[in-house]
Amino acid sequence: MNRTTKRRRDRKHTPKVEMAGLYQRAIQDAFHKLDPRIAVRNPVMFLVWVGTVVTALVTLDPNLFGTVAAPPNPQRVLNGSITVILFFTVWFANFAEAVAEGRGKAQADSLRATRSDTMARKVLPDGSTQSLPSTALRRGEQVKVMAGEMVPADGEVVAGLASVDESAITGESAPVLKQPGTDIASSVTGGTRVISDELLIRVTADPGQGFIDRMIALVEGAERRKTPNEIALTVLLTVLTQVFLIVVATMLPLATYVKTPTTIAILISLLVALIPTTIGGLLSAIGIAGMDRVAQFNVIATSGRAVEACGDVNTLVLDKTGTITLGNRLAEEFIPVDGHGLGDLAQVALASSIFDETPEGRSIGQLAERLGATLEFNRATVEGVEFSARTRMSGIDLADGRQIRKGAVDAIKGFVRSRGGHLTPELDTAYEKVSKLGGTPLAVCQDGEVYGVIYLKDRVKPGIKERFDQLRRMGVRTIMLTGDNRITAAVIAQEAGVDDFIAEATPEDKIEVIRREQSQGKLVAMTGDGTNDAPALAQANVGLAMNSGTQAAKEAANMVDLDSDPTKLIDLVTIGKQLLITRGALTTFSIANDIAKYFAIIPTIFSAAGIGALNVMGLKSPQSAILSALIYNALIIPTLIPLALKGVQFRPLTADQLLRRNILIYGLGGVMAPFLAIKLIDWVIPIP
Amino acid sequence: MVNPLPLVQSVPSPGEAAAPLWRRLYRRKGPPSLFLLLCLNLIIAPAVQGATGPQLLRTQAYALGILGLVTILLSGYLFVVMFQPERF
Repeated sequence: MNRTTKRRRDRKHTPKVEMAGLYQRAIQDAFHKLDPRIAVRNPVMFLVWVGTVVTALVTLDPNLFGTVAAPPNPQRVLNGSITVILFFTVWFANFAEAVAEGRGKAQADSLRATRSDTMARKVLPDGSTQSLPSTALRRGEQVKVMAGEMVPADGEVVAGLASVDESAITGESAPVLKQPGTDIASSVTGGTRVISDELLIRVTADPGQGFIDRMIALVEGAERRKTPNEIALTVLLTVLTQVFLIVVATMLPLATYVKTPTTIAILISLLVALIPTTIGGLLSAIGIAGMDRVAQFNVIATSGRAVEACGDVNTLVLDKTGTITLGNRLAEEFIPVDGHGLGDLAQVALASSIFDETPEGRSIGQLAERLGATLEFNRATVEGVEFSARTRMSGIDLADGRQIRKGAVDAIKGFVRSRGGHLTPELDTAYEKVSKLGGTPLAVCQDGEVYGVIYLKDRVKPGIKERFDQLRRMGVRTIMLTGDNRITAAVIAQEAGVDDFIAEATPEDKIEVIRREQSQGKLVAMTGDGTNDAPALAQANVGLAMNSGTQAAKEAANMVDLDSDPTKLIDLVTIGKQLLITRGALTTFSIANDIAKYFAIIPTIFSAAGIGALNVMGLKSPQSAILSALIYNALIIPTLIPLALKGVQFRPLTADQLLRRNILIYGLGGVMAPFLAIKLIDWVIPIP
Repeated sequence: MVNPLPLVQSVPSPGEAAAPLWRRLYRRKGPPSLFLLLCLNLIIAPAVQGATGPQLLRTQAYALGILGLVTILLSGYLFVVMFQPERF
């Protein structure tokens, strides 16, 4: 097992799904799918279905469509055998689809169990609470949830601070802290459980339209539509089927003309052997299994189209923090400038971070305290200034009018200039020093006076460079977006091995870079979690939203990662490519199979016309040849079900290398395998 | 006050009684199409028998005619799949 496969396997941690009875349910479903109203959706297999009905009729009366030369009983046995084999060909195809759907249905059942009808504590306008079933809650209403209670519906936290167990959805046992006011931590999902304290929640979804309800509909396949590639392949298979139908239908008068009259059952056998039943039977199973592989990574895709688009992606737009780097940037060093001492800088840095609850902000406070800094004012008398993507700085306004700020060096320079301060080259030297180390420099100032630079250390995730190398070999370009300055961005980009980067990026840059790539005919994938990411998530061909993100981001994206791990986008590209490769490989195999089946049946039909030389396999009799070809045709479908569900093993090769490899394995293998298998079946079956 | 039941109930005419049945049949496209196909086979089957000569019985000619029509329908269905694949 190579390292990449191991890493991917480690990342899988799906919520527990009850798989018992999967095959019993699939067997039943395979029979239900014989209903002609369902069978008609698969043109290739529907033809086999009609063929089964016709051969069943000629089993009852071998002379139904014309008097046959052979005695009726042996003819009946042959026709009956053909009918049984054709029936199982259709049934095996249905079974493949039912097994693929089974896992999704099991996952849906497991999710349904979490969506129990809990009682909710609705908050009335006068402040009192009223107990009512969760199904009676409507969007906009407020509910109070205490420790130990289930969150009754999807919502936003309005007040309170509590730990929430989201394992029912994500499989992650560690509780998540929920609080109001932040983009990320304020959304809660119905069906999760509050395990400490209490929350006041504003309901954001009506009953039946919550996140779990949508997930159930998706994993169950209720909203499954054919993807563009599936539609294109269906058209190709239908064209082939149409051509073979016309050829076989016109063969009856031709056979009579060359004085080798044949039977309808044999013509149907020839038709079934020639049409691409293998891929026709496995096509939908491959698509459903692709969705399921995504679900096993704890990612919910809104459609098969999104999974498929992952395989076609040319450009990945990735945030630096959390995706390429570990994300928990910590303050490493204070670099004082302009004659200020380390203690002065620590004092101002501590003051600037007292309202900053981010890991970076807390680490700055801790480092300052280690250096002996203390607060010289009462927290209640100062006003906090929140960070925004536009100002790119945060800080405090003191009661005596002093303003302390910390933020991007350019932003602080602008602030200092606006306060009439003086900037020295020492600041730029400190800035460059931190940037060249790949760290993020944050400048700290008080009014018009710069105190120094904080070095925030960032580490590139282990193994990320190899992943980008693999993506590059597959022809996928990676673009890193970061709010950091150009020098830092360049150092991190080189260390991580990305193809391009955009420094000092704003949320608007994301959508701009996506549009630019798309205008060059490329498909773009990106991740996001904030409300300001929503337009870019909607614009991207593959938008992966984090489950911890805002409702707007989740609604705009076509995939939601329940574990909120942005690195998964790289795994999704791999899964998408695997889906496309599996479909291509099995199509090649199916069409290549036709050659052997053709050489098994055609000499049988025209044996009296002197083309016995075409019996290249030396099959023992015409009946044996037909049955061997049909038995192979039926058995190859269940044989390939594991491959269709698991997918062809993925290798990070270029498109040309993959094509050569697949033609060799599935093309040449598809020609050789049936020759050997049909000969073996012919040798085994007890027909003289 | 309770309304008294009408003493005389109107009896529907045979045409009125058959109307719902006709509407249901009309809505279900299967039976009329099958009927039309069998009618069409009345023209095709004698032609098949005429072309093949005496070795084909009348019933066999009719069965072969139906099989030919089924093949044409299947071909038409495949054309629909080709041109409107999203319907399937």
